[in-house]
Amino acid sequence: MLEGLNFRVLWEYMPFFMEGLRNTFLISIVSLFLALIVGIIACACRLSPWKLVRGLSIVYIESIRSTPLLVQIYFFYFGLPTLGLRVPELQTGIIALMLNSGAYIAEIVRAGITSVPNGQIEAGISSGLNYFQRMRFIILPQALGVTVPPLLGQAIVLVKDSALLSMISVMELTRCGQTLTSERFMPTEAFFTVAFFYLCIYFVLKSMADWSQKKLIFREAY
Amino acid sequence: MIKFKGVNKWFGKLHVLRDINLHVTPGEVVVVCGPSGSGKSTLIRCINRLEKFQKGELFVDGTPLHDHSTNLTKLRAEIGFLFQQFHLYPHMTALQNVTLAPINVRKMKRSDAEELGREKLIRVGLADKADSYPTQLSGGQQQRVAIARGLAMAPKIMLFDEPTSALDPEMIGEVLDVMIKLASEGMTMCVVTHEMGFARQVAHRVIFMDEGSLVETGSPHDFFDNPQTDRAAQFISKILTH
Repeated sequence: MLEGLNFRVLWEYMPFFMEGLRNTFLISIVSLFLALIVGIIACACRLSPWKLVRGLSIVYIESIRSTPLLVQIYFFYFGLPTLGLRVPELQTGIIALMLNSGAYIAEIVRAGITSVPNGQIEAGISSGLNYFQRMRFIILPQALGVTVPPLLGQAIVLVKDSALLSMISVMELTRCGQTLTSERFMPTEAFFTVAFFYLCIYFVLKSMADWSQKKLIFREAY
Repeated sequence: MIKFKGVNKWFGKLHVLRDINLHVTPGEVVVVCGPSGSGKSTLIRCINRLEKFQKGELFVDGTPLHDHSTNLTKLRAEIGFLFQQFHLYPHMTALQNVTLAPINVRKMKRSDAEELGREKLIRVGLADKADSYPTQLSGGQQQRVAIARGLAMAPKIMLFDEPTSALDPEMIGEVLDVMIKLASEGMTMCVVTHEMGFARQVAHRVIFMDEGSLVETGSPHDFFDNPQTDRAAQFISKILTH
């Protein structure tokens, strides 16, 4: 079955794939990191006592969650230059992924935050801690612990979503597969390799998540 | 120290506090009792504005709480609040629970705050539990850590919302002992409790509430042995027969 496949060409293209792998990895890590920040801020706004702030974050979260990522990528790719902002493809892609994942992460973190009992928040209020201190010291440490498993899921989704950046010609893994396909017409070998590399990234992320889970979740009784 | 003047509060249509007038002087220990749903908890939660009220005036340590421009965060730092369910922060050790507010609200240095925290833990008899997490402590120990957490802010007033109601009977004593010690040191305290022994021993005044109103107020001796209203007499007969 495999004799029809030509893996020798793959060796030739290996440096090229390594470049793509590196890009996908970097795009994912950077987007994820930024999305975490965006998500936490959006979530804090979503839970804010001020109606306007809350309204804005609801608009953001809902409009992201109700539209396809590919549409959002095109929107930024074609929209930003129209606004006079000339952003390279890579950065455009990272912005799109950041805003997209940020909205989902906001909802994940919100679920974590609302899982912290209200009484603890009242305890914080009555000892004179302000809103940001309560967030920083009481709520987020616990909320982040609870949200690690769904955040891991979101991180994996984000890695796979980064494949869509190939549509705006960012040279990431999937784009490499497309290039090999069009230059040598070897789609099976190309996308087999691409899939294999996604699998590798998945395992790296998973082990990072396991590590962070040990670090982040507060210790229960032994 | 605490002065209610015609305070009224509604939860939607439910009138939970009706024309409350009450004056607590510095160093006074006031026990609030009454049937469930009578507004006791709401009353003391108003004192640090965990609850808003719609009508009337309330001064705490000279600060008007009915005034919207009042800096509540600053005032709350001066008032300790103890909850029925303790509400310790489960991801922090006992010592970290106690030092969190001194470090971040009082801006103390960590080393100073830890020294203070250990001192307060010694005071509630938990010197050896500084590095334990709340889940490793019994209910009584958790509540005592919560008291130490309140004391670390050197409050002028301590409010207790049924501090022993969630405890096993054998743990109630250890918490009450700490509270009795506090009272004897001159802390201003408002305590919602059903512990009538505690009320008799340390309260300067007992307040009986029913359906949102202050029905009766008097010294523990007068209140328990010679209640003035039928409603209070009925309540006392019910809780003392068991």
